[in-house]
Order: sequence, then structure tokens, then C-alpha cells
Amino acid sequence: MNAPRPLSLLCEVTYRCNLQCPYCYNPLALKAYRDELSTQHWCDVLQHAAELGVVQAHFSGGEPTLRRDLATLIGEASRAGLYTNLITQGTFLEDALLDRLIESGLDHIQISIQAPEEKVADRIAGAHVHGRKVQALERVRQREVALTLNCVLHRLNHDAIGEVIAFAERLGITRLELANVQFYGWAYRNRETLMPTRQQVDRGEAIVCAARERLLGKMEIVYVLPDYFEEFPKPCMNGWGRQFMTVTPNGYVLPCPAAAAIRTLRFDNVRDRPLAEIWRNSESFERYRGTAWMPLPCRTCERREIDWGGCRCQAYLLAGDAGVTDPACSLSADHTIVAGLREGATNGELIPRRA
Amino acid sequence: MNSQTQPKFAKGIRLRHDRDGSVMLLVPEGALVLNRSAAAALALVDGKRRMGEIVAAIVDRFDVTPQRAKTDLHELFDRLGRRGFIIIRQPIDEARAGRSRSARGESSKE
Repeated sequence: MNAPRPLSLLCEVTYRCNLQCPYCYNPLALKAYRDELSTQHWCDVLQHAAELGVVQAHFSGGEPTLRRDLATLIGEASRAGLYTNLITQGTFLEDALLDRLIESGLDHIQISIQAPEEKVADRIAGAHVHGRKVQALERVRQREVALTLNCVLHRLNHDAIGEVIAFAERLGITRLELANVQFYGWAYRNRETLMPTRQQVDRGEAIVCAARERLLGKMEIVYVLPDYFEEFPKPCMNGWGRQFMTVTPNGYVLPCPAAAAIRTLRFDNVRDRPLAEIWRNSESFERYRGTAWMPLPCRTCERREIDWGGCRCQAYLLAGDAGVTDPACSLSADHTIVAGLREGATNGELIPRRA
Repeated sequence: MNSQTQPKFAKGIRLRHDRDGSVMLLVPEGALVLNRSAAAALALVDGKRRMGEIVAAIVDRFDVTPQRAKTDLHELFDRLGRRGFIIIRQPIDEARAGRSRSARGESSKE
């Protein structure tokens, strides 16, 4: 089929990180990703993405500020006309780096906290860093760049959702993203302990709804639902190969940031093949593009162009086949797997992410 | 919102003109595709021009009645304001707003 225009490029510039969050979606085996793309490779990727029609470049990781050439890459993206977004945990955002990034044309920074309370936050991060993050938030807020505060929600911090909102208000945050943990990579490995309870999810949703109303026009709250608790799956990436692509630190191009887990697909690398060709013609992007690949019940479902069959990576992880309906969907033949995981929550030991 | 309002873009919000002539409003994690008159109106936003001037410029350039242009543009700017993309400023209120800011901040915590 004809490839649509991609709108968004996620540049995972490194998987290195000084934190050990147990919900990290990065792959478990990180060794293969140490052979990172050069500055020139990344500049070419950004140029080619802009030529393809991409309008937004997201820089993430790992911790992207560990790349010494980050300002160069943001400058390249900005000159190519791309809107630039930095997704960081903020522990290295000193004045000098921040100024350099903004001078290079950075439009938007997302900083994540692990919890509103220092002791809990540091325990989840596996490092004494919460104070540094708060300082980084203050620094960014004083500068000419858009700021979003992120907090990933799971069993250990879900009850503090109201406190996260209060924390954001105190800091004068105008955009807050509360995303329930998505079970990929390390988060999948720790799923039993990270899984929120139904009660937590219901209570959290009520708190977010009330806060949204109260803060209308002052703070935008983006709330990412926990899809194990939903009737229908998330429209992952707005459809496979439809708007979105990810480039991993070592140059593989993925239709979804979690797609490397799918062992039945072969992904292409920007070191071997031009980005445009990968987007338009590669087997991995073509495989689940559009609706023609869909099995039942997706094929005849009226929601097939709303949720696009859900997430291929989740189908692979849970049902062992990337080509079936996402088990998060209540209409999926494999939905009992999700119900089992939802109810299998325990207060077990968390395995921290390791490099 | 009235004719004296001086709208300005919030941090990180900007217009993008594509080679094919289409215009988008780029915002954190999204892009809104604009029609021609909305794009022309937003291109005039600089924090100084008043809504009245922006509406008048659109009436000059497009086949639209002044009343219609005013209604549509005020609605568009209100919507963008609620999402935090545009900051709506009332020039006359400026000094007063500055004085009462701390008092308002406290009362809103209730």
C-alpha cells in the first residue's frame, strides 16, 4: 500500500541512564545498543525525516542529555524546520546545558518525576535525585521554552496522584502528563508488582477529572489510561507505520518504541538503508500497516480505524503472535491473559533496571 | 475576550508553513492543521496587535462579514486559550492584575 506521511520521529539517542526505574520500557538486554550512531548519522536521520514530512522530533533514551552532541542534534532538527521535544529525567539540566539547548532551538522539555515525595521518588529511581529534578524544573520554568511535567503511575505511587497535581501547581506547571505505566521492557518484567489495583485506577481517574475541571485554562492534564483496565486497546502509535517512527541508539528503525521485542520481524537500520525507503517499503513497516493484515475480530470491527488493532508489541508479548488482536481488547480471544495479569498483582520485589 | 485583547503565543507554540502551502500550529506533542483564514489570523499574533485589528485584517483579505469573522475568531482564540496555547491579555487590566496576583493565588488554593 502507499505509505502515509510520517509526522513524528522519536530519536532514542542513547539507552544509557544513571537511574534504575523498574518501569523503564527500554529493552532488558542493553549491550547490543552501545554501538551508538555518530553525530553525522543522526543529522542525516533528522534531515531525511524532515524531507519525508515529519514535523516533530522527540529526543529520548535512556537519558538523552548523556549524549554530548545533543545540542548539535537539536540545532540540526530545528534548522530542518522540526518542532523539537526533549524527554529527560532532568538530573543533568544545569544552567549551561539548558541555555545551549534552548539557543539551539529546543521548543519543549518534558521532565519526569517518580513521585511527589522525595523519599518515595528516590527509592523508585534507585538514586538520590529528586531534589535535582525539582531544581531543573525551576530552571526550565524561568526560560523561554515550553515545559511538561511527567509522572509515570503504577501501584507504588498511584495513591499519590492528588499530591502529584498539587506538586505541579506549586511549581507553576501549565502542562502535566500522568501516564499509567505501559508494560514493556523492564516494566513488563516487573508487571506483577507495578500493576495498579482497580480501586487505585478508579480513584485516580476521579481525581484527575475533578482537577481538570478546577484547573481549566491554567493547567492541561494529559492522562494516559492503563490499557489493561480498558474495554478497548489504545490506538498504539495511531496505527503501525502510519504517523510515527522510532530510531534506536544503534540505528534500527521501529514502528513502535517497544517493537524490538518482536522476534518474528526483521528491522532495518539507517546504516544500511535510507530512512525514506525503510518508512515506505520495509517489510517491518508494511507488515501491519493499514487494516488489510487484520484478523478477526478486528477485520470486521467498526473500531478498526480508531484503535488499529491495538499494540502489535503487546499482542506479541502476551499472546506470542504480533499479528493477533491486542489482548487488552475485551473482544480478543486472548483477553483472559490480561484479566489474569490485572488480578495477579502482588507486593513482590522490584527488579531495578540495569545497564 | 474583546476587541482590545492582545493575544500572544504561549512558550513553545509556533506556526509552521509547509512547502505545499499548508499551515500547522505546532504545540507540545501535537500539530493542529489550520484553514487559510485561521492561519492568516494566527500569523498576526505578536502580543501587541489587538483582536480588533486581527479581525479587520481577515475581513480585508477573505470573503467574510465583519460579524462572522469576529464570532469565528473570538471562538478560535478562546478555544486555543483554554488549551493554554494562546495567552489572552487585557491591556487595561494589566496594572490591576499585577497588584492582585498574590491575593488571587491564595484564594484559589481553597
